Amino acid sequence: MMTTQNILLLAIGCLIVWYLSHQAGRLDRLHHRIEVSELALHGQLNRRAGIVAELASVASIDPALSAVWGDAAHDVLALEDDSSASRTDTENELTQVLVATLDDDEEVDEISRDPFAAKLLGELAHAANRIQMGRRFHADAVRDCLEIRNQTLVRLFFLAGHAPMPRTIDFDDQIPAGLRDSRNL
Amino acid sequence: MRIGIVCPYAWDVPGGVSAHVHDLAESLIRMGHYVSVLAPAESELGLPDFVVSTGKPKAVRYNGSVARLSFGPVTARKVSRWIEDGKFDVLHVHEPLAPSLSVLACWAAKGPIVATWHSSMDRSRMILSLAKLAQTAMEKISARIAVSEAARSTLVHHVGGDAVVIPNGVDIATFSHAKPMSGWPGAGKALVFLGRVDESRKGLDVLMRAYPEIRKQYPDLRLLIAGPGDASDAIANLPTTDQQSVTALGMISSELKPSVLASGTIYVAPNTGGESFGIVLLEAMASGTPVVSSDLEAFSSVLNFGRSGVTFKNEDSEDLAKVIVDLLSDDFRLAQLKAKGIDRAKEFDWVVVAAKIVDVYESVRVPGMVVEPDLAGQMMGRLGRGRITPEGRSE
Repeated sequence: MMTTQNILLLAIGCLIVWYLSHQAGRLDRLHHRIEVSELALHGQLNRRAGIVAELASVASIDPALSAVWGDAAHDVLALEDDSSASRTDTENELTQVLVATLDDDEEVDEISRDPFAAKLLGELAHAANRIQMGRRFHADAVRDCLEIRNQTLVRLFFLAGHAPMPRTIDFDDQIPAGLRDSRNL
Repeated sequence: MRIGIVCPYAWDVPGGVSAHVHDLAESLIRMGHYVSVLAPAESELGLPDFVVSTGKPKAVRYNGSVARLSFGPVTARKVSRWIEDGKFDVLHVHEPLAPSLSVLACWAAKGPIVATWHSSMDRSRMILSLAKLAQTAMEKISARIAVSEAARSTLVHHVGGDAVVIPNGVDIATFSHAKPMSGWPGAGKALVFLGRVDESRKGLDVLMRAYPEIRKQYPDLRLLIAGPGDASDAIANLPTTDQQSVTALGMISSELKPSVLASGTIYVAPNTGGESFGIVLLEAMASGTPVVSSDLEAFSSVLNFGRSGVTFKNEDSEDLAKVIVDLLSDDFRLAQLKAKGIDRAKEFDWVVVAAKIVDVYESVRVPGMVVEPDLAGQMMGRLGRGRITPEGRSE
């Protein structure tokens, strides 16, 4: 015989189960979103390095500049593990090399006199823009996810399973001023 | 890239969002991308090849006005099928908080989803409640775009999270070749106003109060009014000597718009509020007409804070009269503003804007990974804890 008390308990139980499954579903989707945006970001980082390596091999680029670009770009392209801590340092170095060499409109204009180099610089500007946005979008997803993972019930019932705690990807993503100005970004 | 775009409002009913989607789709196609647009449509006739219609929208009262929206189980199934067939690299939904196709598409898809927020109106309660209801759908959005700072701050305050601001585009070519209507602006110079005549936000009264003052200095000045609504009352309120100098065209076609904008010495935008961007200002500038506008935040930023146009104190007819009188007497400044305006408008050309939007797509998509139907996102799936496999689903 069901008493009012039992019905109430059952209802509360159902509600908790529904809530937990709802939160688990949200976590699942957020983990997926984080994974995809991380892959996208890494794709664009490799693309940036690829463009810089190609720029370094353009005939009209002086050998000193070519060496600096080639060195920084190949360090990134040589990274194997996408999540390694050395990625941060290597990407920072590439960004800093780009900022040091492409901060000045006049120098960018000079390089752009070679139409092939100009085309690559345009692609580089877009890649830098994509990286900056991609990092922001990834951080948005991580923030949304952490908000749920830090809830008491979610932690208590181990809803995230063995998924590692998501982390933002931190590195210097600034766009060199010379690229920003001339490319309408 | 294969791009699926969702427009929540009827394709064949004029509106800001559908116009944006139309121009974006055409620009992307010109760049060489494959584009399919999903939108409600009143009629299947005359739809471009790239548009897939979900049928007639339903007229419902929503958020204080009658809106034409698409929803319901039949529509939801069409959305799912479109996503399944499309194999898109990116899904781009517009105005995802309107209870229409966009939110359905977020619900039904899994993969890189980009959303654009257009609205900036402070509809706090409505947006908040819907944002909660649609939370699971909103959380799937990988990248968010706002068309203006105002739209971005609405989003940040009411939904949370951030967005990149990419403004609306203008099809510069349409306007840069515009020829003025014959006889305009004429030796006595002319002002142009474009907008709903009977909507006070558009500020026609502000201009009408300033107009007799300006005419005291420039007795041959004329005024061209274009836009839906009856302007005869507004004209009748002018001193009799000024009435003859006003021409009201009524509602004009979009084909006529460039030449109307080109018909003035100055384009006046006396809008008093509720503007999130100011596309018509850019259109006027692209057609070579210097702009004088109220100093609304959105307008000031379009005019590059005084560098590409002139602003006056909002709702202040005296200031408007003074600004216009000063400008009409300075042909050098007018020529300078014309050149600066054309340059400024070019920064908002669809070619530039669409390239920025493609950057957003590229920042969240992974080559080789396509947008898939997400059954967990749908009602039945949600009840089942989102563990339904494609084999186990039933229609």
